[in-house]
Amino acid sequence: MLQMRKLSKVYRTHLIETHALRGFDIHVREGEFVAVTGPSGSGKTTFLNIAGLLEEFTDGEYLIDGVPVRGLDDNARSRLRNEKIGFIFQGFNMIPDLNLFDNVDVPLRYRGFKAPERKARIEHALERVGLASRMKHYPAELSGGQQQRVAIARALAGDPRLLLADEPTGNLDSAMARGVMELLEEINAQGTTIVMVTHDPELAQRAQRNVHIIDGQVSDLEHVTPLARVAARGAEAAVA
Amino acid sequence: MEIKPILSTLMRNKTGVFVIAAQVALTLAIVANVFYIVRDRLAEANRPSGVDEDNTFMIGVGAYRPVVDPMADIARDLAGLRALPGVTHATLANQMPLAQSGNNSGVSVDRSQQQISTSVAFYEAADSLVDALGLKLVAGRDLAPSDVIEIQVGENSPEGPFPVVVTQALIDKVFPGETQPIGKLLYLGVGPNADELRIVGVVEALTTPWGRASWGLANRGDVSMIVPFRRATDSPLYIVRTEPGARAAAMKAAEALLVKPGNGRVLGANRSMTELRERRYRSDRFMVGLMGTMTGLLLVVTASGILGMASLWVNQRRKQIGVRRALGATRFDIVRYYLTENFIVTGIGIVVGIGLAFALNAMVASELGLERLPLAHLGIGVVLLWVIGQIAAYAPARRASLIAPATATRSV
Ligand SMILES: Nc1ncnc2c1ncn2[C@@H]1O[C@H](COP(=O)(O)OP(=O)(O)O)[C@@H](O)[C@H]1O
Ligand SMILES: [Mg+2]
Repeated sequence: MLQMRKLSKVYRTHLIETHALRGFDIHVREGEFVAVTGPSGSGKTTFLNIAGLLEEFTDGEYLIDGVPVRGLDDNARSRLRNEKIGFIFQGFNMIPDLNLFDNVDVPLRYRGFKAPERKARIEHALERVGLASRMKHYPAELSGGQQQRVAIARALAGDPRLLLADEPTGNLDSAMARGVMELLEEINAQGTTIVMVTHDPELAQRAQRNVHIIDGQVSDLEHVTPLARVAARGAEAAVA
Repeated sequence: MEIKPILSTLMRNKTGVFVIAAQVALTLAIVANVFYIVRDRLAEANRPSGVDEDNTFMIGVGAYRPVVDPMADIARDLAGLRALPGVTHATLANQMPLAQSGNNSGVSVDRSQQQISTSVAFYEAADSLVDALGLKLVAGRDLAPSDVIEIQVGENSPEGPFPVVVTQALIDKVFPGETQPIGKLLYLGVGPNADELRIVGVVEALTTPWGRASWGLANRGDVSMIVPFRRATDSPLYIVRTEPGARAAAMKAAEALLVKPGNGRVLGANRSMTELRERRYRSDRFMVGLMGTMTGLLLVVTASGILGMASLWVNQRRKQIGVRRALGATRFDIVRYYLTENFIVTGIGIVVGIGLAFALNAMVASELGLERLPLAHLGIGVVLLWVIGQIAAYAPARRASLIAPATATRSV
């Protein structure tokens, strides 16, 4: 589904160069639920942004469904984002002036669906996250957990195969976080590939696979010794 | 198109919408009416006078010592003027088109009338004014030397009947629909003793000394008549026509001929018809320029308002624009969103502005002698504002489209 080989990302400002990712290798298979952990500033968001085609990378290879994405123009990247990828953000990122229905509608309009299909998809997506009855409400009238559910509905409405979540529970209390996590597990169970960045070791533990990023490089914890794994967790907890 | 979500968003940003829409409405109302007034004024300033304007001039002289035999002086002046190189016609007259001074008289068509039918510019000319001004005779005949009535200094105007040449506009006014005006009678003033005038000829046009009055539709400045009076005066006015290209030299020569050191005369005015028109409409042109400038400034202010509001909205929504991009919006989708939003806000202003334009028109129309605002002018204003709105909104819309998709995850 998603494959990066020797990928690197350098941020250049006029003063400094930051190597946010280097020699980054990862292969996420169809249907996986991958939790990405790592200290702050290690490159998690950078990875997710590149995976989601929100940013270009500097060097290396990135393939979606076996197709290299390097060199795609902005329109093609927008279309790929729209059709294959769903995003969930830490800050929910609801559009405050639109009610829930219209918020979920945003990506569907860019997809070019006709009104009846959009309506059906929006209602179905909101039902899935248990908020169909609040369709006419505005984001400000909802709790954080509810907003994140709407964001998930928005990400799912277009039936993406890949869901990218950057600390989706970072702004939620633990009860709400658990609710969101359960929803994501349910979605994954129905076949959607999920890559989730999280600071929460407990949530990471629940994912099928953990990927740890340190200093812009992957240390796939499934393939290292349990001792190192514990040490890495300790380091992460210290940072968090 | 994203009309519905844009409308929802605008409903939640009413203040901004109101500010811009109100500005657009006001601008439209003013622009449409100014366009109309300006066009009307320019049309007026360019309306044909009926005169061969390129080749005519007037020259008037005054006397600073008593004149013994004015009629003899006038005859000598005219003979001299006619002998100047390039001069084709010259006549004594009492007034000049567009010179902004002269006589008006009232005429009636029936002796039982209590009030005059119209007021009319009263041109007295001893020789053919049709020739001297290059007027176009459309019916009947010109006044002939045998029609001329001499009036000595101190004498009253003669009693009628006497022949007159009138403008088509006069016929249209007092005998609407009349196709056989020759021989019709007019009366100078009202009542049983009013002098009788017999129409012998009709000219296509001869503007009055004032052109169209600026105070009313009723007076279009084209109701004139010519009477065959040779009125003795010590300060005669001559109207002279030349061959093409000969006027400037003829004006100099005429001045040298009429005003010589020691001949007891001073120059009154020596002006070409071209200059007279320019002077007559100078203030109108100034007003047109002023209104045009003000309107231009108003449009700039409105465009700035639109630009400012669009920029503000874009800046406020940086994050959500990034989110839209992350969710699959292309750059074009973002540009289109902001142009559509602007189109709608401007459109709200335009709808209100159309009503306002007619209200403003109703207020000024009667003052300025205008008719109801033509829809075409409103249409021009509507299109102009929409275009200006789109142009003003384009830069912020484009800036919005360049906001990085990563803004969705990076910024707070
Ligand atoms: N736009 C940017 N310009 C310069 N440096 C950046 C930019 N975005 C991220 N970085 C840097 O890249 C590194 C990785 O950042 P990020 O991927 O956000 O880390 P994480 O999400 O793991 O906290 C950090 O050192 C960060 O400062
Ligand atoms: Mg991050």
